[in-house]
Amino acid sequence: MPDILVEGKEVTRRFSQGGSDIYALQPASFEIRAGDRIALLGRSGSGKSTLLHLIAGLDTPTGGLLRWPALGPHDALRPGFVGIVFQAPSLIPTLNVVENIEVPLRIAGNISSPQTRALAALESLGLADITDKVPDELSGGQAQRVALARAIALKPRLILADEPTGQLDQSIARQTVDALLNSLEGSDAALLVATHDPSAARRMKTTWLMDHGRLQLTAMAEST
Amino acid sequence: MIRLWLKGFFAAHFGRLAAAVVGLALPVALLGSLGAFVVASSESMARRAVASLPADWQVLLVPGADAATVIDAIGNAARYENLQSAGYADTEGFSAITGGTTQTTGPGKVLGLETDYRQLFPGQLELNLGSWDGVLIAAQTAANLHVAPGDTVTIRLVGGSPVDVRIAGVVALPNADSMFQAIGVSRNIAPQAPPDNVLLMPMSEWRTVFAQQASARPDTVRTQIHVRLDHAVLPPDPSAAFVQAQRAANNFEARVAGSAALADNLAARLDAVRADSLYARVLFLFLGIPGVILALLVTLAVASSGSERRRREQALLRLRGASLLQLLRLAAIEAAAVAGLGTVIGLLLAVVVALTWWRLQNLGLVMPWLVLVVAVGLGFGIAASLVPAWMDATGTSIAAARAEMDRPVPSLWQRLYLDVVILGAGGVVFWMVARTGYEIVLAPEGIAQTSVHYEAFLAPLCFWIGGGLLWLRLSRWALGRGQGAVAVLLTPLSANLGPIIVASLSRQQRRMARGVALVALAFAFATATAIFNSTYNAQSRVDAELTNGADVTLTGTTSHPASELLTELRAIPGVAAAEPMMHRFAYVGADLQDMFGINPTMIGKLTTISNAYFANHDAGKSLALLAETPDGVLVSQETVDDFQLQPGDRLNLRLQNASDNQYHVVPFKFIGVVREFPTAPKDSFLVANADYIAKQAGSDASEVVLLRTSGDAEAVAADARKLAVKRGGTKVTTLGETQALISSSLTAVDLRGLTALELGFAVLMIAGVTGLVLALGLSERRRSFTILSALGATPRQLGAFLWSEGLIIVVGGAVMGIAVGFGIAYALVTLLSGVFDPPPETLTVPWLYVTVALATALLCGSIAIAGTLTLSKKPDLEALRGG
Ligand SMILES: Nc1ncnc2c1ncn2[C@@H]1O[C@H](COP(=O)(O)OP(=O)(O)OP(=O)(O)O)[C@@H](O)[C@H]1O
Ligand SMILES: [Mg+2]
Repeated sequence: MPDILVEGKEVTRRFSQGGSDIYALQPASFEIRAGDRIALLGRSGSGKSTLLHLIAGLDTPTGGLLRWPALGPHDALRPGFVGIVFQAPSLIPTLNVVENIEVPLRIAGNISSPQTRALAALESLGLADITDKVPDELSGGQAQRVALARAIALKPRLILADEPTGQLDQSIARQTVDALLNSLEGSDAALLVATHDPSAARRMKTTWLMDHGRLQLTAMAEST
Repeated sequence: MIRLWLKGFFAAHFGRLAAAVVGLALPVALLGSLGAFVVASSESMARRAVASLPADWQVLLVPGADAATVIDAIGNAARYENLQSAGYADTEGFSAITGGTTQTTGPGKVLGLETDYRQLFPGQLELNLGSWDGVLIAAQTAANLHVAPGDTVTIRLVGGSPVDVRIAGVVALPNADSMFQAIGVSRNIAPQAPPDNVLLMPMSEWRTVFAQQASARPDTVRTQIHVRLDHAVLPPDPSAAFVQAQRAANNFEARVAGSAALADNLAARLDAVRADSLYARVLFLFLGIPGVILALLVTLAVASSGSERRRREQALLRLRGASLLQLLRLAAIEAAAVAGLGTVIGLLLAVVVALTWWRLQNLGLVMPWLVLVVAVGLGFGIAASLVPAWMDATGTSIAAARAEMDRPVPSLWQRLYLDVVILGAGGVVFWMVARTGYEIVLAPEGIAQTSVHYEAFLAPLCFWIGGGLLWLRLSRWALGRGQGAVAVLLTPLSANLGPIIVASLSRQQRRMARGVALVALAFAFATATAIFNSTYNAQSRVDAELTNGADVTLTGTTSHPASELLTELRAIPGVAAAEPMMHRFAYVGADLQDMFGINPTMIGKLTTISNAYFANHDAGKSLALLAETPDGVLVSQETVDDFQLQPGDRLNLRLQNASDNQYHVVPFKFIGVVREFPTAPKDSFLVANADYIAKQAGSDASEVVLLRTSGDAEAVAADARKLAVKRGGTKVTTLGETQALISSSLTAVDLRGLTALELGFAVLMIAGVTGLVLALGLSERRRSFTILSALGATPRQLGAFLWSEGLIIVVGGAVMGIAVGFGIAYALVTLLSGVFDPPPETLTVPWLYVTVALATALLCGSIAIAGTLTLSKKPDLEALRGG
């Protein structure tokens, strides 16, 4: 049985806004094991980002229990064990592409030659020709792939990708997921991708569904 | 809709708007109060100068002229407060018999004064010994004749029989120069020295004694009318007052043509102050304007910050259908509100400073200036917030920001090396002004026109601008090509994040360079102002020391020398050192000069002996030479010219000997020229070894004792006064009193208020600038810090980014600013050497202040960084969630 990376029991996230409570995440129980490939489907506002941030240890649940048995406490997850691609543009505008990828490598501190590692990560995603550009000069798809390269550069055991929606077209979304899956070929890192796109979900072993903050776990990909 | 929006807008942006208002109010207040200082100081300079003038006019009657007619003419030409006749009679000399020997003087003068003269013309006479009632004798004459109150002096009349008078008191004539000036002779003739021998008599007695001489030799017995004019009618500006005083004098002279001649002391005094008041204006220009410009630049930085926020708001308004014109109108309303409020607050501050600090008597005097300040404040305030809003609305600023991010291209000025060119031009101007002997202010004596070489200001101006551009170039270079080196320097702080921190900063080199330049400007201003002010204060101390001699000075007479108190004086607590100094008189040919007998190895420990005091060598060499040459003497240039002296020449002087009180020839050896000396008069004098004088004159009594104090000089002076009372006639004076008294010199202008204002403002600016540059820059880039923190950066690593930036801006700015501040202070002190008398030899650096400024910068920078750090510690998930 593969390691349990994340374990959630009745995890809840409630936002209080102007006196009324919003349940962005209703009590949810789940597990993520090494090697898992999970698509998190749901409409806009259903709570996908909220769940991802909780799993990444960026946010804390308002109820329930969330643990990372094989990884450690919530503040030891990043940058080494968990790599994240944020939904919003998240490259640092004053650094060029390689430097952006070097950031987590240097934050981790124990990497011998960060620049070589960063270039290798870019290469693996077919981004070798834009290493010198600054984020302002990139297309939305390129920027998202650079963010992906940054997330996998440290070879984390859990990759969380909040797929860009809305602004980017379908083909870019698909390219991103493809690139991600390709780069993880043969590794036992777990992957959780939040997406709107059912076709992206079909490429994963597992699909989770979010609806108004309620999480439904489905073991197999839908057949439609 | 607009009103609602405005209400919401002001509520939401209170903090930022308040900062903008304060940012404008400060420079407005500074500009206003500096201008008020110039007006107030000119006014007080003029007021003080004429207040200490005993007689404004001295009118000499031509023999036979009718006094009543002349007095009528005075009343018609000017408004006067008091006026009184004074008799001036020439005599062949005085003699006295004391202790069995007879002393005789050369020709002397006898004045006849009404009994209330000293009350109506305070400052003409000071009683040293004895009483006012009866015949008074000048202190120097009393010394020559060895007489004291109660003794008898014989007056040898011109062509008459001698008259005996009994001396009632000994007086000092502090104003002798003008009291005995030659009236009615051309200005070109060198002023004649006041007579050495003077007696003063009650008017009625004088008339009786000289009645006969007056009819026999009318040219030797004259009458003057001394007039005190109404000063209230004089304009407050010295230049204008001078013109008016001269007009009144011309009017009077036209009325009395031929029957009287006028000595216009009032115009002469105003003439002297005129140049000083012009210097005050120049000082304002040289020292104040850079501060105002700095403050305006800061205002600009505040106003143009937050452009991201503004763009967002504007986009929102555009979405709701607002046109560009409406957007700009809203921006204009905001700008007008900020400018109006800022200007009003600044103006109020300036008025408060002018009234309470500068003690301005009449606010009306600064009105024109304040109107100008309001115009500048409103204009600048509106432009400063409207222009960035317009740039944001039309998208200009986004394009500019993009361009900066992409590839930093050197600006046009950088490619033209404009900074180097401007610095060079400043050097050339400096050199040219230096060549003309730093005559920046020209107020030729007696001529109404004055001129100020404002173009000399081009030199420091070029240094400021060129220095500023050079800072930009250097910091851009450091973050460009010098990246590697900077990364290495930052290693202890940034660990292995160094390369990306420097890479990130180098892509913001325009912003960084601007930050560094602004901080540098603040430091340069603070340093230059502080150094100039300290040098000025030190110099005004030297000036006062030159007049008073030392911290505390006791002046006795030859018969009651202060040196008799020496052991008691040394025992006073707070006395660090006490040394005697002889103050005798000696004949150089027919000219009686002051002679100072010193111990050349000790004098330097008591008082400042400046290099400027001597002509041939510096101070150390001159004193050493005197110490080596027992019979050596230092004399004035005039004496050297008169006697064609060469170093080593023998110079025979006549000194009074204690045994017979007669003057005998004593040989001296000429060793050098002395220009000025502590306590010495402005005209010719001699300096020699006290030991030699003691041996040759048969008395080692020292008339003067100089005290250097280690504590409170006033307390020491009070104790010394208690001792001095025992020996009548010994005067105790302190440096502080003297400093307050030298009123015609600009160094006496109280710069303390101005200094406090400027230095306080400079520190405020440093605090504001460092805090602001960092806080503004950092808050705009909070997003980057959120990303870093979400990627797992520890607080220490986040801190490395912030501290590196802060350190580059604060330390880089401080180093460059302090360096340029030194240069500018040097240029200012050199260019304004006309303010100083004598000019300073070195800059006085207030290290404490520089340290405080640096600490302030580090503290404020740290606070700004710590604040941003706490804000970014918890990642802003909203910003990462998107949507
Ligand atoms: N800080 C917050 N305060 C209040 N409500 C919040 C906050 N953050 C998120 N929410 C709410 O929680 C719900 C879930 O938001 P979330 O961003 O997780 O949705 P999502 O599935 O990621 O949507 P999308 O596909 O558009 O990215 C939404 O209704 C949102 O409005
Ligand atoms: Mg989302």
